[in-house]
Amino acid sequence: MQDKIAELVDQIPALDKRGTFTGPSWDEAMPILDGILAAGKEGVLAVIGMLKPVDDGGDYKARYVLHALAQLVGRPGKDAARTIVAEALAAQPNGYCARQLQVCGTKNQAPALGKMLADPELCEYAAQALLAIREGAVEEFRKALPDLKGASRLTVLQALGVLADAASADAFKAAIADADAEVRLSGGWGLARIGEGVDLVIKAADVDPGYERIKATSNALLLAERLLAAGKKADAVKIYAHLKETRTDPSEKYVRDIAAGAL
Amino acid sequence: MPSRRKFLGTAATSVGFFAVSPSSLIASPKQASPNETYGGALIGCGGRGPSTYQEMTKGLPVEMRAQCDVKFVGKADNKMFYTDFRRVLERKDIDLVAIGTPPHWHALISIAAAEAGKDVLCEKPMTRFIAEGRAVADTFKRYKRIFQIGTFGRFGASKDKKNIETHKIMRSGLVKDPGVFVKSGGLKVKEWSGRVNLAPQTPPAHLDWNLYVGAAPMKPYVGPRHGGTHRGYWDYEGGGLADMAQHTLDPYQWIYGKDDTSPVEIEASAPPAHPEVCGMWGWIEMKYADGFTLVLDSGEWGNKYDRKEAKRVALADLDEPIRAKIQAMPDPEPLVTFAEAVKTRKQPGGNAEAAHRCAILLHLANIAIRTGRKLKFDPVKEEFVGDELANRYVNPPMRAPWHL
Repeated sequence: MQDKIAELVDQIPALDKRGTFTGPSWDEAMPILDGILAAGKEGVLAVIGMLKPVDDGGDYKARYVLHALAQLVGRPGKDAARTIVAEALAAQPNGYCARQLQVCGTKNQAPALGKMLADPELCEYAAQALLAIREGAVEEFRKALPDLKGASRLTVLQALGVLADAASADAFKAAIADADAEVRLSGGWGLARIGEGVDLVIKAADVDPGYERIKATSNALLLAERLLAAGKKADAVKIYAHLKETRTDPSEKYVRDIAAGAL
Repeated sequence: MPSRRKFLGTAATSVGFFAVSPSSLIASPKQASPNETYGGALIGCGGRGPSTYQEMTKGLPVEMRAQCDVKFVGKADNKMFYTDFRRVLERKDIDLVAIGTPPHWHALISIAAAEAGKDVLCEKPMTRFIAEGRAVADTFKRYKRIFQIGTFGRFGASKDKKNIETHKIMRSGLVKDPGVFVKSGGLKVKEWSGRVNLAPQTPPAHLDWNLYVGAAPMKPYVGPRHGGTHRGYWDYEGGGLADMAQHTLDPYQWIYGKDDTSPVEIEASAPPAHPEVCGMWGWIEMKYADGFTLVLDSGEWGNKYDRKEAKRVALADLDEPIRAKIQAMPDPEPLVTFAEAVKTRKQPGGNAEAAHRCAILLHLANIAIRTGRKLKFDPVKEEFVGDELANRYVNPPMRAPWHL
């Protein structure tokens, strides 16, 4: 079967002299893609087996075929094919396959992607695939966060903010007091997204002038809007009143004006 | 366009064709400055950057106070030259920011600039994906800042009598057959196709690759991903279509009165797309809810578009009662320039909402190319209807710490 799959993949056109690529039309591509799908999950795994560890252009045909399959199975009525492709892509931890799961993955691949979060090399791609899939993602992020450090921790913390995960309030509250400014801002943004932590977010916004103050103030304004939308007017007023009182420097007049306008 | 060397030598103080009196500056809500000029900054100094900065200074007294580029490693002094835009935006003496970076940075820097109280003139295309544009428009509204996109075709188009007539006809909502606009060629499809056959390299010492990549997925450095040829990579732009369509379509979006809506059906003729690099496509057909059809025909791949003939609705073709109603409509207000907007706080002609609607066109087109299927779009929710996988391209996740 491997030879047959290799023959199909090899039908993808060659690059031009400049190194740019033009694929076959969908009509021309369909026999190639259908031939691979006809071999089931093993057929897709055979294509994955052609990937080189590093993308240096030498395996562009296999990469292209996998991406075309990921797009094809998103069409209406392709649920069975989508299952085949997605299961194959999730079979082994692989950054390129994770990126294709961002295109076509389902909740069934969330656990496999969740395991990749622990690998610093794969964490970003796995997180992005999980955020694209959404369903089943938040559990994986919650599970992974306590053991993560550095960039991976920030990636997952931000993902929980994107998902506005109220169950992660304690993680956001811990983050807003972190030694790292980017983690602090991510924690404040998470709290703003879930509509919690008024005092913490206000305190964070009072940091010395600079980029962190600008962004932390933005978090405070976002939180105030979320609180207003949730009917928590008193908490929102507390934020606006604080910003109105504290943004007295002429360079922050625009913030004072926003706060005053909201009161 | 001046050479970069010449630009850096002459742009320290740029006063446009008319000066602003101190009294009018007092009326302006601009931030405190140590003198009566506006403090200007350019973020993204290569390619279109210098021209974008010069556009920003037209009609305004602007002093160049900062230049920022990720390729300034070793040159940055954090006084005039910077590698990190965040250090520029925290300066109190910067009022106006020109953004000439690749498009994957346009939205995030625009938003951060508004949050820092700055007005922005941003090179086109406005965004890398649809949700970015909504975030930019909402942020500039919240912060009451000025945003102008760096393409100006609509300013001239909106003064033409024939265009004003078409604009009024389309805005009237009284026309049953609103016509077809076909843009043929000029979209640089092959020119801005990316290269596939490249092995990872070590980034040059003068380039902060991590900051360049920004919110896009981290990929190993290869030369063409930076420096103009970035246009050929999905991570940073979206090919000739993204590079040229906002420029090309912006005046027509005004002429056809579509600044506040988007197409509802999108279909592309293209081969399956490559995952990393932008490539060839033939045509894209986009239909609005009122029946108006907008077509981009590249003329560079596949068969020529032949579904519909171009047809521009004219007043003379309409029945008398409808013609009379349209003729009774007032002409649209003249578009406000960036300089006027900065001084008066009125919205400029290429404001964030209008620019976002135009950027949506190129994003819809590219998503139709990438997914390879006919799509339906909800212009109010700004998402695809009944296509969860196409919606994954509306607001793709960003690499931390960057987010909308």
